[in-house]
Amino acid sequence: MSMHISLRRTAATLTTTTTPLLPGSSSSSTTGAATTFICSQCRHATLLRRPKRPYTFTQLITLSDGSTFTHRTTSPAPVYRSTRDTRNSLLWNPSSSKLMNVEEDEAGRLAAFRARFGRSWDANSPAAEPSSISAAPGAKGEKTAADVKADEEAARAARAQAQAEQEEEDNLLDLISSFGQDEPQHGPGSGSGKKK
Amino acid sequence: MAAREPSRYLARTLPRAIAPSARPQTLACRRNASDDAPARRLSNHLAELETESSLATPLPADTVKSFNPVAAAKSRRAQLPRSRYQFRPPKYDRGPLHPHQPPPPSDPSSRVFVPGPFSLPRVQQTYDAAIASDILTLCYVHNPPGFTPPPKAPRLREWDDSSPYHKNRPLRGPRGGDVLRLLRKPIKFNSIPELERITIHSYVKQAAQENSGWLHVAGMAVQAISNKRVETFKSRASVSTWSIAPGRDTVAVKAELRGEDMYHFFGKLVDVVLPRLKDWPGVKGTSGDSSGNITFGLEPEQVALFPEIEVNYDMYPPKMIPGCHITIHTSAQADKDARLLLSAMGVPFHGKIVN
Repeated sequence: MSMHISLRRTAATLTTTTTPLLPGSSSSSTTGAATTFICSQCRHATLLRRPKRPYTFTQLITLSDGSTFTHRTTSPAPVYRSTRDTRNSLLWNPSSSKLMNVEEDEAGRLAAFRARFGRSWDANSPAAEPSSISAAPGAKGEKTAADVKADEEAARAARAQAQAEQEEEDNLLDLISSFGQDEPQHGPGSGSGKKK
Repeated sequence: MAAREPSRYLARTLPRAIAPSARPQTLACRRNASDDAPARRLSNHLAELETESSLATPLPADTVKSFNPVAAAKSRRAQLPRSRYQFRPPKYDRGPLHPHQPPPPSDPSSRVFVPGPFSLPRVQQTYDAAIASDILTLCYVHNPPGFTPPPKAPRLREWDDSSPYHKNRPLRGPRGGDVLRLLRKPIKFNSIPELERITIHSYVKQAAQENSGWLHVAGMAVQAISNKRVETFKSRASVSTWSIAPGRDTVAVKAELRGEDMYHFFGKLVDVVLPRLKDWPGVKGTSGDSSGNITFGLEPEQVALFPEIEVNYDMYPPKMIPGCHITIHTSAQADKDARLLLSAMGVPFHGKIVN
């Protein structure tokens, strides 16, 4: 609007200066700034359309921890209850033990099993082996357990012990413990390789 | 004040005031014979005033009984004209030289006026209360007094005058590419990065291949999730495998959110929609146009998780629900600052972070 007014004013007074001048006094002061507004007359008319806006409702969003807030939305439901949101998703709460995939071990039976047979009792064993139920626990962690079993079936025990030794080399705990020690050796090497 | 503290001018001015003036001092107390005329006598004017209030005078009884404005209004055959002059803006803009000009868009009487904002969104309150000051603290760089930063090389390089043809050439662009990046200014209290606008864009290639129903559904879905009427766009590129010709096929739908709409959409996206995405690791750390705008995409089944689409899911043909690209434009000049802002507002990033 203001731009239009200024354009109209300059067009009406027909002076080339930006300062408003009296029509009589234009003799000496027209030599100043030569700002020319290009203002051509247009004969067409542009329809000013009313902007279209979808109807919006106020909706109350209830997050899973009970906190609420309102927002404007096109959804007509007055209340939205979310089951999964930032309060209970693991990506937003990386340190929450509740949301992590933790096993229920109230009686301590899983812990007892782990204390007796170790953590890696079925880490690398093929799952399709039919005799793995009896063989696997004896096979893995302890040599004493393997020796007791060897009285019954020597062949199976020997095979199991060989498997146990082979598995103990590449069990998960070794991998985890050796992970941090390997890294400093890799670090400078890869860094220098990158630079070159 | 001048009397309280005696100045050196006081001694000079005091005898001047005491000195006898040339004019006679008795002008005020002189009486003339014409003062006794009735027109000039003060006591007569006072005597003409009424001492009682006019409100206290009792009305005649018939006037009181006949006073009934409701009945008078009902018995009136035609309505009275409106009390105020109602301005109707012109329907057409007839150019700057026309005497009847439309009012500016900010005027409530304008035809293009959009009212609002009607609410203070939660995201905006969080930003003002917590995030802005946190970002300002995180981005603080301490310069000890007397420290002057080392001068930077000019962004546009000059030509070494090794050839006579270098004369009057325009300056060269930066090394390693012709793109002149945005200047990254230090973040001060008045330049804290904030959300500027959010663009939701959806390219529907089936709108050119099959029928326009795809575009209508995409427009309705984008309008539902964004509270904003969408614009449609024709293709600028020629994709012969999809049988899309430039300028012929309308293939895209866009909604641009600012202000209140933008904050509502952002809060809904971050708090409700993004946590529900299956196996979604976060926004890619490499996304961004290196000038502070971050883009990520949503698949059609992820768009269907928006509460507005979910509440009325049967309205949309399931295969026609579009995917979309969401661009978050921030006022940051570098992607690093934009990512800092967005992660403070709850958008997770994953992978290699490229700044």
